Amino acid sequence: MALLQISEPGQTTAPHQHRLAVGIDLGTTNSLVATVRSGDAQTLPDEQGHHLLPSVVRYAETGIEVGEAAVEHAVIDPSNTIVSVKRLMGRAAGDLKSLAESSPYLFSTSESAVPKIHTRSGDVSAVEVSAEILKTLKARAVATLGDDLVGAVITVPAYFDDAQRQATKDAARLAGLNVLRLLNEPTAAAVAYGLDTGQEGIIAIYDLGGGTFDISILRLKQGVFEVLATGGDSALGGDDFDHTIAEWILEQSGSKKVPSASLVRLLKREARSAKEQLAHVDEVNIKVETGDFFWQGSLSRSQMRTLIEPLIKKTIMACRRSLRDADVTTEDVLEVVMVGGSTRTLAVREMVGDFFQREPLVSIDPDKVVAVGAALQADVLAGNKPDDEMLLLDVIPLSLGIETMGGLAEKIIYRNTPIPVAKAQDFTTYKDGQTAMAVHVVQGERELVDDCRSLARFDLRGFPSHVAGAVRIRVTYQVDADGLLTVSAREENSGIEASVDVKPSYGLTDSEIETMLRDSMDHASDDMHSRMLREQQVEAERVVEALDAALKKDGDELLSDEERNNIAQARVQLLEAKAGDDAESIKAAIKTLESACADYVARRMNSNIRNAMQGHSINEYAGKDQE
Amino acid sequence: MITDILTSNFFELFNVPVAYEVDLEKIQQRHRDLQKAVHPDKFVNASDLEKRISMQQTSLINEAFNTLQQPVARAIYLLKLKNVDLNLENETTMDMDFLMGQMEMREALSNVSSKDDPLFELEQFSRQIKDTMKNMMKSFSDSYENEKLDDAKEWIRKMQFMQKAKQEVDELSAKIEDELF
Repeated sequence: MALLQISEPGQTTAPHQHRLAVGIDLGTTNSLVATVRSGDAQTLPDEQGHHLLPSVVRYAETGIEVGEAAVEHAVIDPSNTIVSVKRLMGRAAGDLKSLAESSPYLFSTSESAVPKIHTRSGDVSAVEVSAEILKTLKARAVATLGDDLVGAVITVPAYFDDAQRQATKDAARLAGLNVLRLLNEPTAAAVAYGLDTGQEGIIAIYDLGGGTFDISILRLKQGVFEVLATGGDSALGGDDFDHTIAEWILEQSGSKKVPSASLVRLLKREARSAKEQLAHVDEVNIKVETGDFFWQGSLSRSQMRTLIEPLIKKTIMACRRSLRDADVTTEDVLEVVMVGGSTRTLAVREMVGDFFQREPLVSIDPDKVVAVGAALQADVLAGNKPDDEMLLLDVIPLSLGIETMGGLAEKIIYRNTPIPVAKAQDFTTYKDGQTAMAVHVVQGERELVDDCRSLARFDLRGFPSHVAGAVRIRVTYQVDADGLLTVSAREENSGIEASVDVKPSYGLTDSEIETMLRDSMDHASDDMHSRMLREQQVEAERVVEALDAALKKDGDELLSDEERNNIAQARVQLLEAKAGDDAESIKAAIKTLESACADYVARRMNSNIRNAMQGHSINEYAGKDQE
Repeated sequence: MITDILTSNFFELFNVPVAYEVDLEKIQQRHRDLQKAVHPDKFVNASDLEKRISMQQTSLINEAFNTLQQPVARAIYLLKLKNVDLNLENETTMDMDFLMGQMEMREALSNVSSKDDPLFELEQFSRQIKDTMKNMMKSFSDSYENEKLDDAKEWIRKMQFMQKAKQEVDELSAKIEDELF
């Protein structure tokens, strides 16, 4: 996916040069961008010195406003101001019904499977709204660091399903960001606290943000993170505290009228302010006055605790479940890390502390900790720390399955399986002459397909016509390191690759994204052309550099003279193509070079594993000597 | 393209003897070491081909890791290495006493919510399943070592029953705990 690589031609990628990469926390309520400078990870402020960018986008008459400007207008222009858009990511129209009733947006009934919000600037999807937030953060990074950003690590809640992760990646693509990796938010927090160095044991990450709750149980051993279990609630957070307090105010006021959208927002703002003050004081005075609504009164810390306790209890329940999934008890937990602005609420800290029977870690700003961790990981992935041992091993948060007879879901890849992971499954035809088959992929733990999340439907077509049962189709489900699923299929007897038409149930199709990309280009097609060319040239450079470094290291050892000549030839052809101005022929030359190198690369990867295995046996003996 | 080392069997890949009894600690250690060498995070800036191989290698290592770690999956894999056809779904003959025992247990489980201390009862079930499973694993291992592969197959089917029962007990415990809280 080099479609929108941001690197400029002529940029050197010598290993010693520091490559700029950022970590982005794309939050429900606030978003942040951070980077590592002089070995130190810091969040980047805007021109006014604000580090937190409210995740609010307003489609105003004069253009698109993101952040504070949009927040200021939220009360007067609610239907064109999108808040908490993260909740809509990867969601289907059906999922949004309950949300639509309580939100001021008009969802338009569109042809696309993706729900769109009607604004004065037209219908927009959650992916497009999120892309606006990412563009703003990218601009902030470019303004501070310069234009040669190699990419970004973007964080997502640990249990985001495939559709939600894909939507996040799509938003980054629209914003022109190269995604180095999608990283789970709790894992990022553990990295920020440097828990990967020294300490070994079980760590619980309690992340209560504005709109999502995540609990992750990590095991740290020898500098390697393993996610043992994840759990949470994608629709629970500090916003719900605000909502509960706002409802309490409304109840206290005795008002019988259905509150307007703008009154609801005002009440929530007051509720939020009261909640924040109660982290420092025992009681707070509240006064709400607008139009024909008036209420004045006070709220004590213990009153608030009573109001929000049921919500906190829900998070504790999820904690218990995750501990059970991880097969550990509270006594096994070494540290509890608090993440997310809502962990400033004292009742949360107390109840979490009580449950885990230890003081949670709160020393890093809970709003910034995820972005900081993402920046540290981005720095490693960009290649700035080649000797770093840090490796994040991740698991798939929800089981993947397919629909079988009777609407049952058959699990193919179980949750908490380490990723990347691939699973193959054999199908056979049940009718004579059958040449196609429909597959429905779902995600979730429940037995009935209807209770799981529909991810994709595809038709396998074009396999040979035979009697029932004679055709064997092997379908391979591959989940990559970002937790994203791809599917391939082949007919085993003939070796024919059956075509797979993936129709994402809730996601945007590739062509929809292409259209959005084209629409968002301010430039004429000439610019598009030169952009494609530049991208291919940069890619060519990268490929040649990587090859030269590899050849220097082990080319003599792993290649015959003939193979070496073939590679050298393809290399020269690529350099010639690169000097020209045809993006397509550069692309083709890259492909040719890569296939000339295929065996060589495979051999290198093979010796890589061999070395790893041998290295281990030496360690093993050393370990035994010490014991 | 998958390199030859990955076509070797899972036990060799993890450098442990081909046997049912395995050193789990050693397997976990090896899993981490292999991941450090092949994980896609180490190939973010590499060519697409390297990225793809890295993903395939890591996927395979993860599959091997899962297989070796889980008692039933490991047993099935061992028989596969012996070319034993494990068409488990199609076999209907089964030890009647065992099946009766299973049915009794299911019935007891369905009544557990009405007991005074259901969590305690479930704890008992859990322990019982764990013990039974341990014995079955031992029996499988013996059958396998003595080349009694039909017996070994039978033990796998019984272990699958116990695994399902364990899953049900866990789910029930989770449900009851959540209700009590």
